[in-house]
Amino acid sequence: MRTRTWAPYALIAPTLVLMGVFLIYPIGSVVYYSLQRYNVTQPWKNGFAGLDNFKQMLFDDPLFWQSLAFSAKWVFVEVGLQLLLGLILALVVNETFIGRGVARALVFSPWAVSGVLTTGIWILLLNPSTGIFQELSELGIGSPGTSVLGNPETVFDALVVTELWRGVPFFAILLLADLQSIPKDLYEAASVDGASRWRRFTSVTLPHLKDAIILSTLLRAVWEFNNVDLIYTLTGGGPANQTTTLPLYVARQAVDSHNFGYGSALTVAGFLILLFFSILYLRLSKFGSRA
Amino acid sequence: MRRLLVAVAAAALALTACGSGETGGDGKVTITFWDNNGGPARTPIYEELIKRFETANPDIHVEYVGIPSASVQQKYDTAIAGGETPDVGGVTTSYLAHLVGQEALAPVDDRINGGPLKDRLLPSLVETVRQTAPDGKLYIVPSSANMDIIWYRTDWFKDAGIEPPKTWDEFVTAATKLTDTAANKYGYTIRGGAGSVFQLITEAYAYSGVDNFYKGGQSTLNDKANAELVDKVADLYKKATPEADVNNSFTQMIAQFTGGSVAMMHHNLGSYSDVTKALGDKVAAIPLPVGPSGKRTIVPNPTDGFAVFKNSEHPDAAWKFAEFLTSAESNSYWNEKVGQIPANTDVRSAAWIDKAAHVKMALDVLEDPATVLVPAPVYLPQYSSITKTDSEPQYQKVLLGELSGQQFLDEMAKKLTEAQKEWEERK
Repeated sequence: MRTRTWAPYALIAPTLVLMGVFLIYPIGSVVYYSLQRYNVTQPWKNGFAGLDNFKQMLFDDPLFWQSLAFSAKWVFVEVGLQLLLGLILALVVNETFIGRGVARALVFSPWAVSGVLTTGIWILLLNPSTGIFQELSELGIGSPGTSVLGNPETVFDALVVTELWRGVPFFAILLLADLQSIPKDLYEAASVDGASRWRRFTSVTLPHLKDAIILSTLLRAVWEFNNVDLIYTLTGGGPANQTTTLPLYVARQAVDSHNFGYGSALTVAGFLILLFFSILYLRLSKFGSRA
Repeated sequence: MRRLLVAVAAAALALTACGSGETGGDGKVTITFWDNNGGPARTPIYEELIKRFETANPDIHVEYVGIPSASVQQKYDTAIAGGETPDVGGVTTSYLAHLVGQEALAPVDDRINGGPLKDRLLPSLVETVRQTAPDGKLYIVPSSANMDIIWYRTDWFKDAGIEPPKTWDEFVTAATKLTDTAANKYGYTIRGGAGSVFQLITEAYAYSGVDNFYKGGQSTLNDKANAELVDKVADLYKKATPEADVNNSFTQMIAQFTGGSVAMMHHNLGSYSDVTKALGDKVAAIPLPVGPSGKRTIVPNPTDGFAVFKNSEHPDAAWKFAEFLTSAESNSYWNEKVGQIPANTDVRSAAWIDKAAHVKMALDVLEDPATVLVPAPVYLPQYSSITKTDSEPQYQKVLLGELSGQQFLDEMAKKLTEAQKEWEERK
């Protein structure tokens, strides 16, 4: 009998150890440093800071609010557009037509390209003297030397398009997988009842996709919120902080300025915001409950 | 928690630096040397010098570790925290104060004065190094200096029939004249992204002729003439420069110049091999243009040098190597290859200097008694966060016309004044 009491613990121990090492310890250390003054360039000032970092962040740092607002806009626009376009693409390649295999492969291919390559490709495409805009200007469209990433009026749109290229396939793959699990007889029954194509979409397809949509938008929202690679390599958060997201601002404070205490406080803020919205979203959408 | 982190980082580093301080069975001493700008351009130079050193000193073996310049400060920080510093390391004055603050380096004043390098080092460089340390001691032996200059296309200037500019007004005229936006040709390229403000500061002092970074404890950065220069640069943006310049880091800036779409570029001697490889003899260097005062003021670039680390188990062998690297022969070899100003004054008469026009030009400027050096306070621990993290995005606002040059400099000068005050109090 005794041997049975430790067996379950032994079985979950590896998971717990891994979670401890890769989740609890890092999160704990970030929380710890967020309450410290810790800047390697001024070690003599290091020490317990209490809530000073948070006070500075909330009341004395316009860039925190600016980057947070930009992050919110970025997540909202990106996830919304990716969901919409991904759903359309999934519906299209779910139909039977000649060349469907090729079409599917093409739709998914951007997802298979690594993040570094994606940004590399787009840096070349958007290069003012060799990229698309140079080609266009040679055809008489636009002016030569157009730099969409250097112009505050176009930089947001350029980034959105770039990230869409990489993000849409994610939704298309996920939704297509779920579309294929919808029993065909449901559609047949709906047709027999005289349901129009649109009605079949809203009454059969969408309810079936609900959980997949909730989960993928949530995952994607967290990823987009934490997106650093693409924006960092394309604009570095510029021009003039116009594309600085909260994680980019963290990187600048912690990595560039060596101000790890304040950077940790910013990270804690981002963590809490994400946690709050994730829980709220799952609650409101009643994730996992079959109506 | 911090200890564990440091231990992990140190373990990782130890893998790259293993063998440090070991004495072999044959009585041979092994020292580790960190090159602070490792890469295809510099590594072969050091490999050759190490070979020469080991031939002359068969009892010392040098282990070379090349570290990319972008991550070198971080590598030193981790090494110091983990107690795994090299014996000798390449260190520039831009992070020297930071290393001295962590008490990682051994002063080399006595060693220099007790050996062949005594009175053989360019006084202006020695002075720059001294000013960087709070106690005024020498923590690196200076080996090489760099200087901000304008690289320009000799062929474009010849075709347009204009002389290379000497004053800022001539510079603006030339940049405007050489611009043909329809043909994607521009007179100048501005560094608007990473690294922008350091270059801007050198331009501003070259123009204003203000001869000291601080006057009565107040930063002179927001001097009216400095602000005038900032506005003049911003005026050129998009008129005589590509629109993309606002995001330009060094990589993009030099790509525009070597790609042939730009007539003039402000950088330093360090880009010599990049520009000549691409443009051959169609490129030459001039000093930064002066302003209406006509005075020549220079904000010196970080000085390169070699440090002996306090933790070294073989400090004498380490110094021997540092001294060897700075000897006339090695120093001449290194600076000829890299195209920078040699710190060892005996190299002044080397034949290659007369052929390397850009080095000669820079040396002439440095040795001209009328030239005033205005060292930037790189010793301030906040210097990098003030001039880079805080100010680079603000400078982009200036370029985009959202902020005036004066407002921009006022903000930065205020922070630099406060940081200086704090530093004086700690001294």
